Amino acid sequence: MTAERFLALVAAWGADSRRWPAEERAAAEAFAAARPDIARPALAEADGIDALLHASRVAAPSAALRDRVLASAAEAGLRARRGGRRWLDRLGLALGAGWAAAACAGVVAGVALTGQLTAAAEADAVLYQASLLAFDDTEVLG
Amino acid sequence: MAPIADPDEDLVRRVGQADPAAIQAMVARKLPRMLALAQRMLGDPVEAEDVAQEAMLRAWRQAPRWTPGKAKFDTWLHRVALNLCYDRLRRRREIPTDVPPDRPDPGPAPDRGLLAAETGLRVDAALARLPERQREAIVLCHYQELTNIEAAALMEVSVEALESLLSRGRRALRTALADLRPGTEGA
Repeated sequence: MTAERFLALVAAWGADSRRWPAEERAAAEAFAAARPDIARPALAEADGIDALLHASRVAAPSAALRDRVLASAAEAGLRARRGGRRWLDRLGLALGAGWAAAACAGVVAGVALTGQLTAAAEADAVLYQASLLAFDDTEVLG
Repeated sequence: MAPIADPDEDLVRRVGQADPAAIQAMVARKLPRMLALAQRMLGDPVEAEDVAQEAMLRAWRQAPRWTPGKAKFDTWLHRVALNLCYDRLRRRREIPTDVPPDRPDPGPAPDRGLLAAETGLRVDAALARLPERQREAIVLCHYQELTNIEAAALMEVSVEALESLLSRGRRALRTALADLRPGTEGA
């Protein structure tokens, strides 16, 4: 790194090497170590400006602003899917289980009907299917 | 082009899924940054709050459709907030208001040293009087701690031009605040 480049870098980015461009940091630090006669006055000058810049303070967000921003998330459509979605999921599972049970019942009933249906079995099947949704009596009783 | 590593990637994804904890974390992480950016760009706390709130609203809208790897979310959010600041600064130029947005310079130090708060006010006033692009460069690089590449991209200038703005801005501050610097007190 040249002296000219080092001085330009410090004039732009200040005395704190962590702020220097990453790709030049190592070379600039090496220059500062090798040429303190050039580096020290420039770093001292820049450090004074850095200290002034650090004196600037900004207010933290107020609680009211934070609340408004949080509320705006919901307004933007970011609503937590609590009761509604889980209720829908549970509903879907229940309907799926119901249809599976109905299908099983249909198979069982069908097998029974292909044999000699007894009155008792027929009554059981009717009672069973009556407890299920959307199941046609004629499928059980023929 | 290699995807850009983004420290906010997971948080943005969770915000996009409406995770309440992620929304809280995003507010804690980004709202102070956006407010600080707007305060230093505009020098008006009320306008700064409006800008920060609007920037966060746009973040909420963007999160569900954010594509990771193309840009850093923080850089995108800075772009949004800066544009909102530009709009307001442009409006000020077009419609002069009775109340100047720049805080008046409280003047040189009294005989002895200033309190830290007073020094801060002097610095803020000097920052506010800098040319807009010099102020923007200092705000992005010094206060928001963006890298040279990020800040240059946001300002749509080369890295060399950014450095020139930084140098000129710092030099102007040094001159404006000469009486506050060590060894010059009371001069």
